[in-house]
Amino acid sequence: MSAKNYLLRLSALILWAVAISCAPAAFAQDLQNGQQLFQTLCARCHGMLGGGGEGPSLTRPTLVHAPDDEALVALIVGGIPGTGMPGSRQLRGQDGPDVAAYVRSLGELPPEEMPGDPLAGAEIYRSVGNCASCHIIFGEGNGVGPELSNVGQRRNAAYLRRSVMSPDAEQPRQVDRFRGSLNAFLTVRIVSEYGSYEGMRVNEDAFTVQMRDLSGKLYSFEKADLISYEKAPGHSLMPGYNSVLNAQQTDDVVSYLMSLK
Amino acid sequence: MKLQQPLSISLFALCFLLTLASNTALADTPFEALLADEQNGADWLSYSGGYKSERFSPLSQINTVNVDQLKVMWAYQMRPTGISGAALQETTPLVADDIMYLTESPSSVTALDARTGRTLWHFVPDITNDVLNIGFPRINRGVALLDDKVYVATLDARLFALDARTGAVRWESKVADNLSGFSLTLAPLALDGKIVVGVSGAEAGVRGYIDAYDSESGERLWRTYTVPAPGEPGSETWQGDAWRTGGGSTWLTGSYDPELDLLYWTTGNPAPDWNGDLRPGDNLFTCAVLALDPDTGEMKWFFQYTPHDTHDWDANQIPVLVDGEFEGRQRKLLALANRNAFYYLLDRETGEYLLGKEYSFQTWAEGIDENGRPIVIPNSDPTREGNLVWPSLQGATNWFSPSYNPQTEQFFVPNRRMGAIYFKSDVEYEAGMPFLGGGEQPMDGDDASGAIVALDVMSGEQQWEFELQTPPWSGVMATAGGLVFGASNEGYFFALDGEDGDPLWFFNTGAHVRTNPMGFSVDGNQRVAIIGGQTLYVFGLE
Amino acid sequence: MNRFIALLAPLCLGLGLTLPVLAQEDEFQTVITPAFSPVTWERLINAEDEPENWMMYSGTLDSQRYSRLDQIDKSNVAELEMKWSYQIPVIDRAETVPTVVDGIMFITEAPSNLTAVDARTGRVYWRYDHELPDDLRICCGRNNRGVAILGETLFMSTLDAHLVAIDARTGNVLWDTEVADYEAGYSKTAAPLIVKDKVVTGIAGGEFGIRGFIDAYDPATGELEWRTYAIPGPGEPGNDSWSGDSWKTGGAATWITGSYDPDLNLIYWGTGNPGPDWNGDVRLGDNLYSDSALALDGDTGEIAWHFQFTPHDVHDYDSIQVPILADIEYQGSTRKVMMWANRNAFFYTIDRATGEFLEGDAYASQTWAQGLDPTGRPIRVPGMAPTYEGILVSPPIVGATNWYSPGYSQQTGLFYVTSFDGEQEFFKRDEDYEEGERFTGGGGRYNQPMDAFHSSIRAINPATAQIEWEFPIMPRSSAGITTTAGGIVFTGSADGYFFALDAATGEELWHISLGARVHAAPMTYAVDGKQFVTIASGNVVYTFGLKDD
Repeated sequence: MSAKNYLLRLSALILWAVAISCAPAAFAQDLQNGQQLFQTLCARCHGMLGGGGEGPSLTRPTLVHAPDDEALVALIVGGIPGTGMPGSRQLRGQDGPDVAAYVRSLGELPPEEMPGDPLAGAEIYRSVGNCASCHIIFGEGNGVGPELSNVGQRRNAAYLRRSVMSPDAEQPRQVDRFRGSLNAFLTVRIVSEYGSYEGMRVNEDAFTVQMRDLSGKLYSFEKADLISYEKAPGHSLMPGYNSVLNAQQTDDVVSYLMSLK
Repeated sequence: MKLQQPLSISLFALCFLLTLASNTALADTPFEALLADEQNGADWLSYSGGYKSERFSPLSQINTVNVDQLKVMWAYQMRPTGISGAALQETTPLVADDIMYLTESPSSVTALDARTGRTLWHFVPDITNDVLNIGFPRINRGVALLDDKVYVATLDARLFALDARTGAVRWESKVADNLSGFSLTLAPLALDGKIVVGVSGAEAGVRGYIDAYDSESGERLWRTYTVPAPGEPGSETWQGDAWRTGGGSTWLTGSYDPELDLLYWTTGNPAPDWNGDLRPGDNLFTCAVLALDPDTGEMKWFFQYTPHDTHDWDANQIPVLVDGEFEGRQRKLLALANRNAFYYLLDRETGEYLLGKEYSFQTWAEGIDENGRPIVIPNSDPTREGNLVWPSLQGATNWFSPSYNPQTEQFFVPNRRMGAIYFKSDVEYEAGMPFLGGGEQPMDGDDASGAIVALDVMSGEQQWEFELQTPPWSGVMATAGGLVFGASNEGYFFALDGEDGDPLWFFNTGAHVRTNPMGFSVDGNQRVAIIGGQTLYVFGLE
Repeated sequence: MNRFIALLAPLCLGLGLTLPVLAQEDEFQTVITPAFSPVTWERLINAEDEPENWMMYSGTLDSQRYSRLDQIDKSNVAELEMKWSYQIPVIDRAETVPTVVDGIMFITEAPSNLTAVDARTGRVYWRYDHELPDDLRICCGRNNRGVAILGETLFMSTLDAHLVAIDARTGNVLWDTEVADYEAGYSKTAAPLIVKDKVVTGIAGGEFGIRGFIDAYDPATGELEWRTYAIPGPGEPGNDSWSGDSWKTGGAATWITGSYDPDLNLIYWGTGNPGPDWNGDVRLGDNLYSDSALALDGDTGEIAWHFQFTPHDVHDYDSIQVPILADIEYQGSTRKVMMWANRNAFFYTIDRATGEFLEGDAYASQTWAQGLDPTGRPIRVPGMAPTYEGILVSPPIVGATNWYSPGYSQQTGLFYVTSFDGEQEFFKRDEDYEEGERFTGGGGRYNQPMDAFHSSIRAINPATAQIEWEFPIMPRSSAGITTTAGGIVFTGSADGYFFALDAATGEELWHISLGARVHAAPMTYAVDGKQFVTIASGNVVYTFGLKDD
């Protein structure tokens, strides 16, 4: 168990909570009511901070079952057939929309100034950065790393900068409904009798592990057959760009990523 | 044109013969059969496979040598009812005379031919989407069998008696008012002429109780509250009116000792869950096990595992009745691996505390004192800012069953290793609304893990562990074949060697498992069953 | 830089990453199993030569659903056991036929999602969830039946009438093209078909008064290359087979996957009912090319020939069946034929180079036609059109068969079809067209319980159009059929059985109860030399194999 991990997540969650409590005054009343109702009715499964638990995490910009606000209110009140989401029929009047507004706020980023020039950043992304050899944006590029279409909706400037400069610092998570939030690009090294492999874990259980190597090839192993299996949390397969890009270039790339919405 | 013997005709013939065979043997589960359930490998007549709640199959046809030959004999897929949120299955099927009875969420009952998996009847109670379920999902954990009836407790807090042959309703009784937050999700427990049920609803601020109903008429025989009213014993552990909304729900099936004629039932958290300021005191009889006289409901003794709980550490785990030598003396014991991360042994005649041992990582207590009271570490309560504590509110284990192998004296527990940030907040009671006073943000995913652990039943010492990727939500079953069957969130059903925990066989059910395994036999062939996701799988060698 | 990154440097270099090159270590060469190699058009043409893979909806371009795998055969099929299962998280009825390439299985899910799993274990590699609007027009279930693959790209239809290209290695979207407007009633459920360098795909919505078409898209960009309407426009041949403006809302959807003959360079595709389904008064004429087989030029989509099975259909007898292509001995010579068991209860053997009708006969109960004339046109029984009061006609609306795939065995030379002998009361209704609303002009009603009717798997000799054997099923089936070189016919039934028949005799060899309706076709593949058979039932994809050694 890594205490560092906990602290990182804890501080991220608390930072977020602070951000919410500092929301503009005009919306404060609705959001506060929404938050209170959320903690009463929803937090049991979705977590007090919306970060997931028995239910999925809601701290993301798009929700699969709720393409628009109307649909979100409807499912908060009525539930979702065929899933574990029962709905909260106790909600009356403005309560449903307030909870919906609060849930939306969980996945929204506060507006930020761009530190550089997104157009120049796009050019660096294409040329010096050669980022498209591992990332995909709206269908362009090679998608072995995280897809970056809409990344500007999901990540703030600080996160993006950290990811560009020192990808080891924090790796993206994916939320599994029944298993919680898992490291989505955990670096793994596997040695079997056929050879040695390294790549990103895409799935794992007590008996097997699945990984993707940097060429995109997919592998599936039974753990019992392996000679060794090593997880390397805190080691991203992405190279850090702190020695490749200067400060201006970094600002520009971060700005470009922020513009992807 | 050449016509073949059709599949359908042969199956029809088979079903017809089965019906004939069943009609002669069918549908009598007398109290005497329930008393002998533990020794009866062919049937599985009650939730935990017998009054001792060992969840142990005495069959050994499937064993450590041949378990890798196990294969799926048939599968059954649950039928969605169209009720929102009713897609999680936590039922333990029962088998009597080659007929399997299982529940489907939210509260339907299905009878299947245990040989072939073909449906015999299906009962869907009239539950609407408006039903309240506060603090837990819309699930059901199974039926009880007694004589010619099947008993199911429903999400909207009713108890139904169904005709075991047809599924037709014999009677229904209202157990509680769903509008004020009561629900029933547990498998009832059938005793001699009575059906015992408990309630869910501590997250809605109910005052918990245990009820017994006449098995023939549905008339209520007694009700025992788990939170005392002013003037009653234990009321000194509550202040003001807190007892009225004090929780102490009773949402998991208990155990029974026919010799002592004592019924053992566990109780849940006090309400509100995480804000203990609103209910100073020990909050008896929450987070406890109660020994009741089954004829009157009178409390003979109690033991409180977590006084003044502020982490939702319900004691709603299976109380396993164990007979054996403890510290040189033959004793009747009650073993329970608690959600609070400690394993306890009690004397089940007197309630005397004998042992309390940490079996899972925790950060809230230094240990258990000689009276069985936890030595709480200061500042481990929820706070307004959030306080990181192990285990998480789902606990070091939960409702899913442990298993006890009386032949090897091993106690097997599914173990959750996860912490949570606990929050405290203000709350006012409102009927039919959650009454929580806080919540948690679990430290899940890669920050958490799970295991199946084997404990020496008398010492609580861990013998081995089998690690799981994430904290499990499914039970275990040991067998006389030297196996421990378990399951995982990742969708596996697996068999471990009871001696050392080595995995001997596994099968990918294709969806998360949140049920308990059970076992039975047909025509002398052993079967093992598990539900993964929406699908029930029945395994056998031949 | 730590050793870990160093080890990866060679790999990154291979991808053209700007990363300082460090010492290479031989220890970490990656050269080994499961190699996902691009699926070239060459591989697709010769798909039957690599039976370990199932690279398209019907297995091969001729859609025979015949696999050369023979490890599982008549002698050992009774020992089949379930190896793993995968449960589709959104609870619905699965109609998917998975695709397997080099040990990776691609499963489409209701409503329009896609998952890649390890074909040996069923463990998930990635998922793609397609976001759908919540005002979809759904005629017949929220389904998806499968993907097509070319190179390293998967192509999937979606319920909102889009065609989506997805990176097979990661699940990332490469492009997402709107094929038609879902708000006008168009939707897409079928697996596309790769033809050379194009993605060919049809459209659903026949109950919404659409005008059906077949499209071809550029696999790299998602741009439309050609569109051939299944209903000719004004001035085009056949437009005069519609009265007035009825061609505009004439239906003729194209909602199941077709076939392709590389030698003749012809695409074969079935078309659906004319709209409105049951009121023919508002669309007098033959209503070309509804209820037809179309042969299209593989490069331009131009119609080379057509064969209309049910002119002026008034019973919803869609010709939405998968065309099976084979070269058979017919009257002393080898003929390139197309075999078709139609929803209208007749079986047809057609010369696929010319569209010439060769043989045909009823293979299931029917009361609407006296038979077929020498050109294959049905001789109608007068007075069998739906009425306002209702009239009993066989086959019923669901047809003598439907979209579920038939099969053909190269070993037996027999054609296998899931067939239904039933009847239904047909009603006519007056109805005006309104965009995005149902436009059917009537409906049907069973006046007996389903088990009053007869269902079976029938084996038909295509040279004679006569039934060789049948295997009865209770109460009915909507499962497809797959045959293998092991001499086996695999199929399922509505009561949840998956079973194996002797392809030569129809004798039952094995069955298992899967606990929910089988509404899909089986497929077979191999990984590491072990054969597997997969079937979707209810909400679950089950995979079977023989005992491990």
